[in-house]
Amino acid sequence: MSRLFDHYGAEGKGYAQPSPILPASELNLPANMVRNQLPRWPRLSEPEMVRHYTWLSKRNFGIDTGFYPLGSCTMKHNPRVNEVVAQLPGIADIHPHQSEHQLQGLLSIYYEMQEMLAICAGMDAVTLQPVAGAQGEFTAVRCFQEYFRHRGESNRTKVIVPDSAHGTNPASAAMSGFEIIEIPSQEDGRIDLSALRAVVGDDTAAMMITNPNTLGLFEQDIAAASKIVHEVGGLMYYDGANFNAILGRTSPGLMGFDAVHYNLHKTFSQPHGGGGPGSGPIGVKEHLASFLPSPIVARREPNVAEKEQAVDAFWYHWHVPENSIGKVQQWHGNAGAVLRCWAYYRRYGKELRTMSEHAVLNANYLRHAIHREAKAAGVDHLFVDGADTVVAKHEFTLSLGPAKETLGISAMDVAKGLLDMGYMAPTVYFPLVVPECMMIEPTETESKETLDTFAKDFCKVLQLDAETLHNAPTTTPVRRVDEVYAARNLCLRHPFDND
Amino acid sequence: MVDQLPNLGREEEMLKEMGIESMDSLFADVPEPVRMVGDLPLPDAQSEEELLADARRLLGANLALGDQPSFLGAGLYRNFIPSSVFQLVTRGEFLTSYTPYQPEVSQGMLQAMWEFQSLVSELIGMPITNLSLYDGSTAAAEAITCAVRVHNRKAEQKDTVYISELTPPDRVSVIHNYCQGAGIEIKKLKHDNNGCINLESVHEARGSCAVYVEQPNPLGIIDEGYPSIKEIIGEHTALIVGVQPVSLGLLEAPGHYGADIVIGEGQPLGSPITGGGPLYGIFGCTKPYLRLMPGRIVGRSIDVDGKEAYCLTLSTREQHIRRHRATSNICTNETLIALMGAMHMSLLGPEGLKHLAIRNMAACTHLKRELSSIESIHQPHHQQSHFNEFVVELPEQTSSCLAFLEQDGIVGGFNVSDWYPEKSNQMLLTVTDQTSKDDIDRLVQSLTTWTMEVTA
Repeated sequence: MSRLFDHYGAEGKGYAQPSPILPASELNLPANMVRNQLPRWPRLSEPEMVRHYTWLSKRNFGIDTGFYPLGSCTMKHNPRVNEVVAQLPGIADIHPHQSEHQLQGLLSIYYEMQEMLAICAGMDAVTLQPVAGAQGEFTAVRCFQEYFRHRGESNRTKVIVPDSAHGTNPASAAMSGFEIIEIPSQEDGRIDLSALRAVVGDDTAAMMITNPNTLGLFEQDIAAASKIVHEVGGLMYYDGANFNAILGRTSPGLMGFDAVHYNLHKTFSQPHGGGGPGSGPIGVKEHLASFLPSPIVARREPNVAEKEQAVDAFWYHWHVPENSIGKVQQWHGNAGAVLRCWAYYRRYGKELRTMSEHAVLNANYLRHAIHREAKAAGVDHLFVDGADTVVAKHEFTLSLGPAKETLGISAMDVAKGLLDMGYMAPTVYFPLVVPECMMIEPTETESKETLDTFAKDFCKVLQLDAETLHNAPTTTPVRRVDEVYAARNLCLRHPFDND
Repeated sequence: MVDQLPNLGREEEMLKEMGIESMDSLFADVPEPVRMVGDLPLPDAQSEEELLADARRLLGANLALGDQPSFLGAGLYRNFIPSSVFQLVTRGEFLTSYTPYQPEVSQGMLQAMWEFQSLVSELIGMPITNLSLYDGSTAAAEAITCAVRVHNRKAEQKDTVYISELTPPDRVSVIHNYCQGAGIEIKKLKHDNNGCINLESVHEARGSCAVYVEQPNPLGIIDEGYPSIKEIIGEHTALIVGVQPVSLGLLEAPGHYGADIVIGEGQPLGSPITGGGPLYGIFGCTKPYLRLMPGRIVGRSIDVDGKEAYCLTLSTREQHIRRHRATSNICTNETLIALMGAMHMSLLGPEGLKHLAIRNMAACTHLKRELSSIESIHQPHHQQSHFNEFVVELPEQTSSCLAFLEQDGIVGGFNVSDWYPEKSNQMLLTVTDQTSKDDIDRLVQSLTTWTMEVTA
């Protein structure tokens, strides 16, 4: 075990820095602001630090180490050229307050990304400022709010979400002060139009929905749902978490949505980094464009002086939308993430559609292969598909209900069994409409061989006896972690002996 | 042609095995009226080489601050980041992992984040920290809404918070957006002409839910009035202090002068400024705020064998469980950037942090002294201590000064009129550990020439 706080080297140990311009004795600090006790940080030399973090990294599972079929999270390969691009000094070492003529390269890339995202989603205007999907949701809902205020419709206080929605949808709308109306899904997990009709009215602000839904099914009634909401004067919000399933085949604009957020860290391959950074741009239709956060990037003909510094035929500049809600992040969003995703997009261009097609191809193939292998191994009675459709989209669900009932093996047990086989486990217990749910998303960057092998290994896990699975995992750095103990015996920082 | 798809060219084989006719059949469930017809109107795919050439050309058109002496800060600070930080953070096991929902195979990141919490906790003097929010501005906003959740019931001034009138407008805008849904009114705390907080004005905040100030303040001043604030506002009003983390190598940790919540822009420790993102927001608090705080938290626990193990904890505050009653909508945060912060902190060690702070403040002190030789450049708060930035009053518009400096190959300071339009002659000059004596000489020389030109 390597622990950072076990390293107590000699005082002053640490990486060497140049001397200050003036000696410390010449600095004038207010007496009551002088720090007398430095933070009790450990002291490491570089070799110790490098070894510690390398040791930690070896105890972490990433896409690079193995198949990561985590449903809804789109754990696709992260091309390394994106990292190279994001570390160029022209992005890593620039300040958002630099003047426009010093940032033409950045601004032109922002413009290109705004345009590309608008095209892909069938929207009219895009802001890149929100730094995560949830913040994109919040930003869009804030825009809705100002839109209604502007129209004298502040009576629209309710936001409708299906019960299968991601938790961030209701949380983001509630943060803006909206009341949440949750409507039940149909038994097959799809949207229930009659339930929707029953709750809409002149107090409806918006409906938030993701399509394909969290079961990986395309909501075929989506246009009808949009119509119902629009007819009462409400707005339609598209949660872009599953946008990677439909890119180039349909768009939120075509489905009737007024606004959408994009998870650049899903569809456009910004690495997830163990929980961030992400990037959550939003796109809106024309009627909402003037409410977007400020600033976005616009372009015009350059004047004579500007021509020399222009990167192409245009001059790019910041633009403050007329009725802007202001800022949701102090600067221009996660520029470094936007740049990575720009690099990703450039590698695909119009073939982004092929990316989506392969995401769907792989998901359907894996679904097929699992059923095929289960039959061969005689374990097909232990689970059922979460949906009865011929095709799924980019992900699919399985219910381990039968395994639970007959053998006492839960979805979590199977998940832990898969960890022992060297895989990341699929998402479990979401969406809630599928009992003992396992949600599987292979992504387009896995080979047929990987999918075949996973299908076989999945069935091998189902052949294990209940006791073995209850004890799994056994080959991982630690075994099942006691989360109740963690919550009851809160230890949120290194405990010092003299505390 | 794209090269990222292992099954390219094998579509037919796979479809055939599934008994599915074509790629189109996979999308047969998309109703005809909403189908997209034809290709996306986008350019062709590029090879890696073509992409890199474009990236180098376009990003090369940006002026990287390392290429010139630069005095632009105002919330983002370019300290040197040791090479090992970049080398380690791009290890695929960290870079390509997801939020650690399966703790058994995510111990590396979980432990690293628990250690991050420990490092930050010591730095800011708070017993509890989370594993990052998006940036300093959203951390400030979330701290304020958190304080209202905790104090509103007993508050005399319900749904009311007081923030320093110096808080930069872009940051205030973020705070406003986060607060308006909860119906929180934001009132301003006054400052005296010397740039320090007016303690009389702080009395007005008694009975409200929170007071928000920054140390050093947005004008770079180390305000010695802050230790009196907590006593004035009392226990039922949260004192929230925003910090520049490097300054805490010299300055008292806010946790030691009464702060209830400490937030900050973590960027100066571990991260390049990257055009303003990704950054990481620091958030720490005392125990009364624990159950209503935003963000992910790692706890140390044990596995079934009793072995030391880490996992996410107190998740019942979060959106994936509590949905619309969650303490925040945050899901994806800035873990990887926080990891860079932890790596930088662990290389610095306590004395290294102090040394880094001294280097910042020494460069600032030196620049202040050198500039005092220019008669027509006034330092309105010259009697105050500054950590790494300070305001100068120029004889002419800041914009004309910045244009002159640029001609001379220098990136000048921040034009204060972008924050406060009436201060059209003020510039906020920032130094960091990257500012050399030569850089300062060049700036002083250039400003001397400029002032002679405009005052002649």
